[in-house]
Amino acid sequence: MTESSGSKLLNGEACQRTLRGKNAGKNGFVKNHCVFEHPRKYRRPTERSQNAAPNSSLYKKPFSESFEETPLLVAVLTYMGYGILTIFGYFRDFLRHWNIEKCHIAHEREQQKDFVPLYQDFENFYTRNLYMRIRDNWNRPICSVPGAKVDLVERVTHNYNWTFEHTGKVVKDVINMGSYNYLGFAENTGACASAAIETTHAYGVGVASTRCEIGNLDIHEELEQLVARFLGVESSMAFGMGFATNSMNIPPLTGKGCLILSDELNHASLVLGARLSGSTIRVFKHNNMQSLEKLLRDAIAHGQPRTHRPWKKILIVVEGIYSMEGSIVRLPEVIALKKRYKAYLYLDEAHSIGALGPNGRGVVDYFGLDPKDVDIMMGTFTKSFGAAGGYIGGRKELIDYLRCHSHSALYATSMSPPVAQQIISSMKIIMGEDGSTLGKDRLRQLSENTTYFRRKLREMGFIIYGNDDSPVVPLMLYMPAKIGAFGREMLKRNIGTVVVGFPATPIIESRARFCVSAAHTREMLDTALRAISEVGDLLQLKYSRRERPLSTPGWTYEESLLQD
Amino acid sequence: MPLGDCWKNLSWFYYQYLLVTALYMLEPWERTVFNSLLISVLGMAVYTGYVFMPQHIMAILHYFEVVQ
Repeated sequence: MTESSGSKLLNGEACQRTLRGKNAGKNGFVKNHCVFEHPRKYRRPTERSQNAAPNSSLYKKPFSESFEETPLLVAVLTYMGYGILTIFGYFRDFLRHWNIEKCHIAHEREQQKDFVPLYQDFENFYTRNLYMRIRDNWNRPICSVPGAKVDLVERVTHNYNWTFEHTGKVVKDVINMGSYNYLGFAENTGACASAAIETTHAYGVGVASTRCEIGNLDIHEELEQLVARFLGVESSMAFGMGFATNSMNIPPLTGKGCLILSDELNHASLVLGARLSGSTIRVFKHNNMQSLEKLLRDAIAHGQPRTHRPWKKILIVVEGIYSMEGSIVRLPEVIALKKRYKAYLYLDEAHSIGALGPNGRGVVDYFGLDPKDVDIMMGTFTKSFGAAGGYIGGRKELIDYLRCHSHSALYATSMSPPVAQQIISSMKIIMGEDGSTLGKDRLRQLSENTTYFRRKLREMGFIIYGNDDSPVVPLMLYMPAKIGAFGREMLKRNIGTVVVGFPATPIIESRARFCVSAAHTREMLDTALRAISEVGDLLQLKYSRRERPLSTPGWTYEESLLQD
Repeated sequence: MPLGDCWKNLSWFYYQYLLVTALYMLEPWERTVFNSLLISVLGMAVYTGYVFMPQHIMAILHYFEVVQ
């Protein structure tokens, strides 16, 4: 770990020496002025772990992320498991085709059998034969507030997950490790809920128009001013839906002749918005600044594909916290690159707003940077504020332009008044303007819970991805059967978790994703950790090969297999 | 109760086998099909080994001129 950071610093210095050397004017000039040099080609391929940044002066505190590599035996067994499932999938499809077995899922009618097949691609095969078998882990109906504890509707299936029936019973007080409730504002009592009720009495629930027509309420104006003050930008605009904020606001900003540089693991809304805009999209490796710099340099040096004209604008699209990996964007380096190469930055803080930073102002606050450096700050109100919707913040000219040209402002209904009031109250609590210390307490509680939870899980021997400060905690499962088994076993122990497999993650890297909340007390976390450890022992999930304190009792089968 | 312990141990190993080979996700009749195929193939391998191993070993030793 230290050797790779050392080598980066060394190459950085070597880089500057060549600047003043003889090679300054030769061919390959483009390669000699890199801010972040490529690391040496040969590196021990045990872990990808970046502890110290190459330009450590940009970071005020250590940036420690780790993505431990998949153990080889586990990868082989995972592929074998998927192979067996695929063979049985083909077998069942054969039985369905020859009508030996009834087909429960959508299929073509008799008259359409000779047409181009609709359901034979891999996505449909996967849904029919793999997803359906463990479908009871998803779409579980909830019948209470999704706070720290939640009530679930009990379901049974008599035909292996093709249909479900409600038994009429309710599973009460399931510890909720899946909701994006980072600051615990998903509650039905308290100041926010009372304010929302009063607003409902005043305004009703529906707005019945778009922002541009007659749906612009004074509560929207108040909300936007508050959001601008919260973020530290000149002006902001709020939308009714977070997904629509991304997908409907990137098209007005860029068009043909513009370049979008987007991270490998960007959310579907960003990808959709980028594709809708019609710009050229180039993808850089996840959180990899060398890859981004190379793309920027190539874009500026070579211009547009055939005409070699300069790009009209270059927009770098990154997220604050990536929810599947738990990693935090390297914002200081992105801003340094953006300033150097004169590109624009679009930062999607869906998960990080309210959850990171000493004042809860997101990833910009976490790194101690100036909000004016980020051109377009986007975020959602769904996660930390307990409401729904999204916002975009930036300079006044930008927001005024978006008010007239955004598809969402012209065609989508504006935010509902009680939702807007919930955001206003929760934001005031976070900023401390309601006169109490509730905001500060919750921020501190979230950061303590995150550190405790992550440390404990690492100590138990699980492979946990991501940055040590991110409240999103992915725990690696890898094998397909363990996805279903983990979800079911945790529910038996009264803990609700979200398990994720393909296509949201790469096919062998399926995981369970925990979202730590400020509403979780230490006892709840301890209960959850005990249950996770139990299930981890039962399913043999403790794959990590790093040294851990010798408090694990006895001999575990997987450990002996992995000591090769 | 040693027999009870043995049964629990075996049952845990069977559970691990189900998880690793993804049979956990399959319906019971599919598990039966897979298990019977696996047992028949393994049984055939063991039987072939039992029948032919002495001949193979004698042939190897004869090749290396350890025994005439």
